[in-house]
This record gives sequence, C-alpha cells and structure tokens, in this order.
Amino acid sequence: MSQDSQVSFEAIDNSESGDGGVEHGALLSRLCEAIFNEDQDQLASVKDKLLDAAGVDVLIDAVAVSANFYMMTRIADSTGTPLDAGTVEPSAKIRELVGVNSFTSRREAQT
Amino acid sequence: MKGLSMAAYSTELPIRPDLDQAHAEVASRWSTTGSWWSGVERLAIVEEVRHARDSDDIAPWESPTAIAGLISDDHALPDAAIDAIWRITNHPGTLTAEWHASILGRGIHPEAYVEMVGVVAQANAVDRFADALDLDRVELPIPSTSEPEQTGDASLEVTSHWVPTAKIKGPNVLKALSAVPFENETLSILSSAQYVRLGDLLSDLVSKQNSLSRLQVEVIAARTSKLNECFY
Repeated sequence: MSQDSQVSFEAIDNSESGDGGVEHGALLSRLCEAIFNEDQDQLASVKDKLLDAAGVDVLIDAVAVSANFYMMTRIADSTGTPLDAGTVEPSAKIRELVGVNSFTSRREAQT
Repeated sequence: MKGLSMAAYSTELPIRPDLDQAHAEVASRWSTTGSWWSGVERLAIVEEVRHARDSDDIAPWESPTAIAGLISDDHALPDAAIDAIWRITNHPGTLTAEWHASILGRGIHPEAYVEMVGVVAQANAVDRFADALDLDRVELPIPSTSEPEQTGDASLEVTSHWVPTAKIKGPNVLKALSAVPFENETLSILSSAQYVRLGDLLSDLVSKQNSLSRLQVEVIAARTSKLNECFY
C-alpha cells in the first residue's frame, strides 16, 4: 500500500513510535487505544488533539473505521475464520513486525 | 421505542448522512425477525451486548448466568446465548473451537449461533461509534413478534470455519456469516458506510475514503484489530 513515501508499521503496533509514514498515524493509533481503553479522559484528550490537527470529519470517520473493526474482529474470532491461504506468506513479515503471531485467535487456512 | 426508521443520531456533529442512515437501518434490521431469532430475541441480543459492555468486567471463562443477580430470571434468551454474547463482546480474542463447541452443546443451533454473532458484532460496532463520540446510543425500534422459520439450509457445510458456510467466493471473513445471508447484507451496509465499500476492498488502495486516505483507514483498522487481539 505504499505510494510515493515509505510506509512502515509502527502506528499499528503502538502510538509511541511515530506516524510510520502515515499522516497523523500516531494520533490515529492513540485514538484507537483510547476507544479500546474506554478511558474518558484519555479519549477527550486525543479527540481534542485530532480535531486541532485534522478536523472534525477526520475524527468522525476515524471513529467509524475503528468501530467497524469491533464488528469484523468479533465476526472473525467467533466463527473460527482462518487467514486466507493466499495471504499467509505475503503477510508473514508484517505479522512478525506488529506482533500478532502469538494470539489465541491465530488460525491459518489449510492449503 | 420507535417503529419507523428515522435519523440515528441527534447531534451537532457533522455525521455523514450515509453513515447515520446505515446505523438507523441496521437498528431497524435488529428489530426484524430473522431466520433463527425473533425480533424480540434479536433486540434482546443487542440489549445484552449493552449490558455486557456496561457491567464490571468478568473473566473470559466466567459465565454471567452463573453470577447471582447479574442476569434476570425472565430473560428472553437462553443461558448459552447470554454467556456467548458476553464473551464475544468483552473477550473476543480468547475464543476457541472448543468454546464454540461448548455453546452448541448447550443447545444453540449452528446457524442460530451465526445469526447471533452477526447481531452481536453489529451492536458492538454501532455502540462503540456512539460511545466514542459521546452520542446517545441508537434507539431500538419496536421489535417484530413474529416467529422465525428456523429452517436449516442443507447446502451449508462446515469446511474452513467452525461454523457452517455457503459455497461463496471471496475472503474468508466474508464467508463467515454466509449461513445467514441477512446478516451478511447487514455487514455490507455497515462496512460500506464505516470502512470501505466491499467492492473496493482489494481494488482501490489509493483514493481517499471520505476524509481519510486509504493508508490512514488501514492503520486504524489494523491498530483496532491488534488491540482486540484478532490475528485475522
């Protein structure tokens, strides 16, 4: 998914390691953390920062995307959805970088 | 409760009309009688998601139905469904094939389980959106009281997933709810408004998705998924 600039995956792993080449990547990552933690003070603070940096439309759309993945993760993990066979190898390096291989939810399609 | 589909949110925030409409439509679909659960039961599923989220956390292996006073005695749903709703809502990363089998072993039909998962997942998304923006959660419509047909589909098979799926092509996550097409349609309604139109999922990697770049969208998607300990 890289375009003209180099994209890395820091913002997927945590919000402390920079934007990873994605505009407002660290702030968006922090927003996800605040939504997950359901910490009202943390959420208020990061929403204010994101509003100042990127505007209200970005805030709303970012919350909507994050919300969508509360749905997708539950569908995948409640139904035993395995990783698609064609993506196991291409995703190996990324999965290692962002640290998901130890999850209980790890399931890979049988080839 | 409302009987007609109206705006989902009353707010000064400039929520996109398609997003507001999607949430209103999904709430209406929750109140409709499905293939396995009545409208009353489907709204009870949504209400139990809210109960699970708003209560003090319990350990993944604990059953809320075994905790005195936590669940009402005259609940519309069977105990197995309530326990499943709580664990899927609060600890989705802990689910195993053995756990799934235990829920079915307590009397939940495999396809009824799929429909329930669909509603639970949708409610988690819609309510998380509202909560994160300090909005009132979407109001629940008046439910249908008609009874579901509960007719199994003999063409479904358990192959790649724990649950029976239809023979459809596409990513495994889009097959997950295929045993209950109505829930797959609801998934599409929500994903198109909240994330990316499903037809653009693998083809459009460069254009802006509303106010976000596709890269920003995928960072948010991946970070949220990692926080929920979802490998997929």
